Amino acid sequence: MNMLPGPAQAAAIGLSIALPLLLLCYARIAATGGSGRRFRLGSVSILALYAIACLALPGQRHFDDVLGGLFLLATAMMFCYILFSLLAWGFTLTLLTALVKAGRPLTLEQWAVAYMQGGDLGSFTHNRLKLLVGAGMVIAADGRLAPTAKGVAIARLVKLVRLSTGLG
Amino acid sequence: MSFFIGFLAAVTFALLSPALQVMARTRGWSLGAVTLLAIAAILTHGLGVMLGILVVPQFQYWDAASIFGFCVMGYVFAFGAVYKSVSLEILLSVVDRPERRAPLSEIIERQVPDLFQGRIRNLVDGGLVEPVDSGFAPTAAGRKMAGRVGQLRRAFGIGDTSLYDFSE
Repeated sequence: MNMLPGPAQAAAIGLSIALPLLLLCYARIAATGGSGRRFRLGSVSILALYAIACLALPGQRHFDDVLGGLFLLATAMMFCYILFSLLAWGFTLTLLTALVKAGRPLTLEQWAVAYMQGGDLGSFTHNRLKLLVGAGMVIAADGRLAPTAKGVAIARLVKLVRLSTGLG
Repeated sequence: MSFFIGFLAAVTFALLSPALQVMARTRGWSLGAVTLLAIAAILTHGLGVMLGILVVPQFQYWDAASIFGFCVMGYVFAFGAVYKSVSLEILLSVVDRPERRAPLSEIIERQVPDLFQGRIRNLVDGGLVEPVDSGFAPTAAGRKMAGRVGQLRRAFGIGDTSLYDFSE
């Protein structure tokens, strides 16, 4: 068994470790925008650096090595995105931080207000619905919601993924 | 051939993981869904490496690990997307109705508060929050976790609202 990564794979491993560090650096640059844009920028930067590394590294490139490196980079990006999105958009985690930030016990209603930083659950619902409407999955009209054909297809896909991953 | 072994291990993971989730539910195991995913990943990775050593004369570990990591992380990504997404819960609730329409007021007044209470139950069950009189307060573990989350959010320049920013 050969445990040593190829040159491109070694570069990909290094860049995978560098991705969170790059995101930390980008967080200090205001021009990089919000969380989502910053993550996209970080991912594109890492991919560009990988392409440069593949061209600049000495010796002949092997397809297996480059492909393996791409898989490793994509793995690191997905892993980082899962953690990043939990921090940025995690509902349960933010409920906890809102309760701790309040500094005193809260009733359910007070907790909802603290979570929404003065807003209510209606504002939260509208924010989540904006995603569904924006993605063309749902149409909101006359105070009612109706799924589009795309929404129905996505819902079927979600059920399939839930079933095949054992979530029921 | 090493890539094929890695892919085979990933397929085994995709079969073992849902089986573990279903077994945990039916037998009342106290292990969380993410822990079960980690167990399945470690087991199948180990099996893949052993198979590679036995079957492939020049087994390239990183070739196998790269495709295994990519497929498993893709699985975890899909799993995470459908596991507890508020937006998808709303979409499914609309699609599952016979008339495929839902009043917005009902979602705001009934479904989202139910989701809110469900997440609070998760926090209480996880020992991060405890009921106090008629309200809720964070436990020492909850405060510790919230502190760490706050540090990470500050470091990565992430806000603490968990709302989607559609201006990006």
